Amino acid sequence: MMDDFEQQIKAALAKKEPSPFFEARVLGAAKRQARDRRASARMWWASAIAAALLVTTGSAWQYEREAHEQAAGREAKARLELALKITSVKLQKISQKVEGI
Amino acid sequence: MEDQVENSEPRTFASVLRAQQSMVFSIAYHFLRDRSAAEEVAQDVFLQLHRRFDDLKSDMHISFWLRKVASHRSIDYARKRKLQPSVGLDDAPPPSVDDQPRDHFLHRRLQSLIGSLPEKPRMVMVLRYQEDLMPEEIASLLDMPVRTVKSHLQRSLAMMREKIDRSMGDVR
Repeated sequence: MMDDFEQQIKAALAKKEPSPFFEARVLGAAKRQARDRRASARMWWASAIAAALLVTTGSAWQYEREAHEQAAGREAKARLELALKITSVKLQKISQKVEGI
Repeated sequence: MEDQVENSEPRTFASVLRAQQSMVFSIAYHFLRDRSAAEEVAQDVFLQLHRRFDDLKSDMHISFWLRKVASHRSIDYARKRKLQPSVGLDDAPPPSVDDQPRDHFLHRRLQSLIGSLPEKPRMVMVLRYQEDLMPEEIASLLDMPVRTVKSHLQRSLAMMREKIDRSMGDVR
């Protein structure tokens, strides 16, 4: 229950109206804010898609390079094995000849 | 009776703005004692509301949220700008037809005394007497214990009564 003094405070703190253009100004600012947010959301998605494409392309390139290097490694290994085999056969032949002398 | 958006029409941001602008502006105005600062704070509050309008489901929730954000934003604004509460000539309320000269003088004096209170007790007074809120509701809005709210109210009222009595005595 408010006494007379408190009623006077209540009257002194009665609600006031903002300026007549306040409502239009806030609605305009809200519209701009929504537009900016949509633009920044579009920008975010564009950046996200670009980043995803970059990562995918990079990964594909990396995979391709690794596959190429592995294939080259396998080829080099096969050549080395062949060379060793030929050398071994030749050494064996030389060894047989030497034993025959 | 608290301002509410009519239930008959669907709630939109514009309808909430129309219904609640006076409440939000007045909280900031009575706290800051500066019309343009109060409009700036009120605009920020409504722009924040616009960003999360879909999250707030009921009129009651919106009113609570607006009071809370308006209170905290006003306090932050005062802290940032180190705004000295003052009553400028432009801020003087236009005297209404019913106003008695004595009441007008008293109201100006009361506004000035409230403006001279520290931040938290000042906001407590604004919410209590502008918004007609109970100490429990104020405590929940300002995130402070109920006993602190009651203590702010008692001390502020006692200080204001004493100063008003003294100034009335000086007049007599």
